[in-house]
Amino acid sequence: MSAYAHAEPNIEVHKFYGGTISVATFLSLVLQAFLNKYGAWVGFLELPLLITIYFGLSRRNPATGLLLGGTIGVLQDAVSHTPIGTYGIAKTVVGYMASSIGSRIDTEHPLARAALIFLFFHVHQAVLTVIERALLDRPVAFFSSKLLIAALINTAAGLLLFPLLDRLRKPS
Amino acid sequence: MSMMELPSRQRPLTLLAIVIGLQVLLLAFQIKRDHDVRLVRVWAVDILTPLQRSGTWMISSVHAVWAHYIDLRRTGVENDRLHSELGRLQLRNRELESRAVEADRLALLLGFHTANPDVPMVAAQVIGANADASSRTIFINRGDTDRLRKNMAVITPDGIVGKVVEVYQDTSQVLLITDRESGVGALFSGSRTHGVIKGMSEPYLLMDYVINEEKVAPGQEILTSGEDQIFPKDLLIGTVVRSKNGNPFSVINVRPAARLDRLEEVLVLLTRRDTPNQKKAEPAVAPVPATGAATPSAATPVAPVTTTPPATKSISKPPATTPERP
Repeated sequence: MSAYAHAEPNIEVHKFYGGTISVATFLSLVLQAFLNKYGAWVGFLELPLLITIYFGLSRRNPATGLLLGGTIGVLQDAVSHTPIGTYGIAKTVVGYMASSIGSRIDTEHPLARAALIFLFFHVHQAVLTVIERALLDRPVAFFSSKLLIAALINTAAGLLLFPLLDRLRKPS
Repeated sequence: MSMMELPSRQRPLTLLAIVIGLQVLLLAFQIKRDHDVRLVRVWAVDILTPLQRSGTWMISSVHAVWAHYIDLRRTGVENDRLHSELGRLQLRNRELESRAVEADRLALLLGFHTANPDVPMVAAQVIGANADASSRTIFINRGDTDRLRKNMAVITPDGIVGKVVEVYQDTSQVLLITDRESGVGALFSGSRTHGVIKGMSEPYLLMDYVINEEKVAPGQEILTSGEDQIFPKDLLIGTVVRSKNGNPFSVINVRPAARLDRLEEVLVLLTRRDTPNQKKAEPAVAPVPATGAATPSAATPVAPVTTTPPATKSISKPPATTPERP
């Protein structure tokens, strides 16, 4: 049996209204830039990452997922002070993993979504750390208390955001 | 179906690798490392340099193996060729050195000849020496065909050498002044006191018939007096080495001025005409020609053979100052 969503009879590939992914991506970047002004706790939020995870899990196509994640990451780099490609590589990996996992298991359950968001956030931060250490030559620590707090915050935000984005699906 | 899945399974991975690779490359173009060098340039150098080193090492290793092992046969041939050429060049070098020394000697002779243009003389090469230990004679490559005659004086620019005692067709025998049969009329250059230089078949000469009252100091020069009718006057014979009172005359040892143990070229005076009082001639540029260039003057006889007795037996007696040699 095929492991991919389009050949898997039990796993549904969700379709969205036209422009949903573009608008959602744009809004996530704008809100992220807006929220970063307000301090540490809000700055832990990674809206573009949540968008990447959601649409990766929903589309269930690794190729689409990695391209989407790469695009979102590059756009995020473009509006940040980081070299372009930093977040692009991290979100490309997350988009690919989310699409691959999404094509194998059911990701509608909140607990599954919470676990996946928690996991992918750590993967995202790990890739960022590797890039900063290897390429940017910055001595960045991976394991810290802020990492756990940020992962919990993003998990909670994702559990709130994903049902809102579910409303933008086309009815099957 | 499963066969078809394999390529489609690898496509997302390939796409993932491509996208990540492109973004890493993009980062590399933006990030600058030490000395403001872009990361992509650092990577390129880090990737290429080991390959270049490896390639260079491989090529040099192959070349070394070829040159030091496989191609040794050519090395052996080259070695032999170089050895023979070295031997040839060493011989040539020795020959040239010998010629250079000979040229220096001939230049001295030419200088003496040039300084005394009115005195006919001929250059000769020493071709042999005495066969016994008691006599001091040499053979030269001039003879009757070169107008040599008995009792002609033989000199070098450094000093007198001896006289011709035998003349053959193309060679002559010369009695050196160190031979015990030799005697030369002499005088001190300073006091002009006369004496007789005698050979003792030894390196040093003996100045005889000088009274003990004569002040003789080492280093004094002894010149020819001309009284023997063989050597022109005022030619350098040698220098005093030591002097001590004797009975009845002083015992004065004289070192010959000419290097009698290293004779190679000499001059034969074809006349008894006096030369200017010149102990050493300045060396000239060109060597003396092989054939005798000096011709006897019309006003002067070639050699006083018939008019004076040969000096092999005794020195011609000067008027009351030089006693006959016993």
